[in-house]
Amino acid sequence: MYFVAEVHDKECAKYNCKQCVLFCPEPNCLNYKESGHTAWVWYDRCKGCEICVYVCSDLLKRNCIEMVMVKTGD
Amino acid sequence: MGLEYVKISPGFEKYMPRDYVDLVEYGQFGKELDVMQMGQFKELVEEHPMCAGCYMAYFIRVFYAALPKPEDTIVLGTAGCARLALSQAAVPFIYGNYGDTNAVASGLKRALSIRFPDKDKDVVVMAGDGGLMDIGFGMTMHSWFRREKFTTIMVDNEVYGNTGGQESGMSPKGIQLKMAPTGKKFDKINAVELAQTAGCVYVARISPTNPKRIAKVIRRAILAARKFGPTFIHAYTSCNIEYSIPTREVLADARQREKKDFKFYEWMTDEVKEYFNEIEKKAKEVKS
Ligand SMILES: Cc1ncc(C[n+]2csc(CCOP(=O)(O)OP(=O)(O)O)c2C)c(N)n1
Ligand code: SF4
Ligand code: SF4
Ligand code: SF4
Ligand SMILES: [Mg+2]
Repeated sequence: MYFVAEVHDKECAKYNCKQCVLFCPEPNCLNYKESGHTAWVWYDRCKGCEICVYVCSDLLKRNCIEMVMVKTGD
Repeated sequence: MGLEYVKISPGFEKYMPRDYVDLVEYGQFGKELDVMQMGQFKELVEEHPMCAGCYMAYFIRVFYAALPKPEDTIVLGTAGCARLALSQAAVPFIYGNYGDTNAVASGLKRALSIRFPDKDKDVVVMAGDGGLMDIGFGMTMHSWFRREKFTTIMVDNEVYGNTGGQESGMSPKGIQLKMAPTGKKFDKINAVELAQTAGCVYVARISPTNPKRIAKVIRRAILAARKFGPTFIHAYTSCNIEYSIPTREVLADARQREKKDFKFYEWMTDEVKEYFNEIEKKAKEVKS
């Protein structure tokens, strides 16, 4: 089991934002879907650092990202 | 090197790994992508083993997204954390002995100018504070004295991160580290001032709080090195492991340091300034 970030896409889509995507340390981990105006996480690439949560919740007060536990292979 | 080299030979598309096909189809090669489009194209750097929340890894991510011509670039690194990600990018990477980056880059850049006299081939060194300001200090300085035309980027985490926490010349005075338990006795080296005095034509100091600005500085440093001489970027790239920064606070720390000793600073010679005014004016004209 390990921690990864998960975006609540319906909430995120309200903001047309993308800020968290620009501050994740990992390449192509936190991505952005133009069609749905939402950020999305490629779980296999996420190291669980929570920098995206800092951006979305602490800085922007939007609370659209949550850390969740996943199992290998999920 | 060159666009021909990254293209897939016709008929081989279905045999190439998905990540490679994505790089060619949705990547940066041959296109002018903006760093603000990160997360919407296939990035040059792949998965790598740097620690969770490492802002050196973040800086490297933005560095690759900002390269003006990745297909004509060679990156040089050395022992230290940065090479763990630098070696996982779709850009040729050279790794020599610890601290020899600026000597190797000097020879390489000269050879490339002889081999490809009509083309810009960018050479960029990216190495740690230990690599550039301690062990490789002499080679770094002499490449600047000789006015070698390549870019040096110091990813300064203020410690020997890769070997478990020894102090470097760039660690702040008084800091206690795992392997400097009594606290550092000397001041942090003023690398930016050294670079200016030693002959760099473009010098910047930056904390990674703004991807657009990081990209601008990287592009400027590379463009100025093509034409005028050595360029230097001093980047604060925290080591959350050795400095015990909770990963969630890593960006907050970069923002704090930006207000203190890592205020954004940019300096260039008049000649370089004039050159940027010219090309930035031209770019605006093309847009409008
Ligand atoms: C000649 C030589 N001496 C020592 C080492 C061991 N060594 C590997 S990385 C490193 C320190 C790295 O510190 P820095 O350059 O600041 O990079 P960081 O890991 O902090 O990014 C040392 C001493 C080596 N590889 N080669
Ligand atoms: S910071 Fe929050 S609102 Fe903005 S794109 Fe990321 S998840 Fe969406
Ligand atoms: S937790 Fe860290 S690695 Fe994972 S998506 Fe967020 S910023 Fe990226
Ligand atoms: S040891 Fe420090 S600098 Fe090296 S990868 Fe880990 S966090 Fe980054
Ligand atoms: Mg270091």
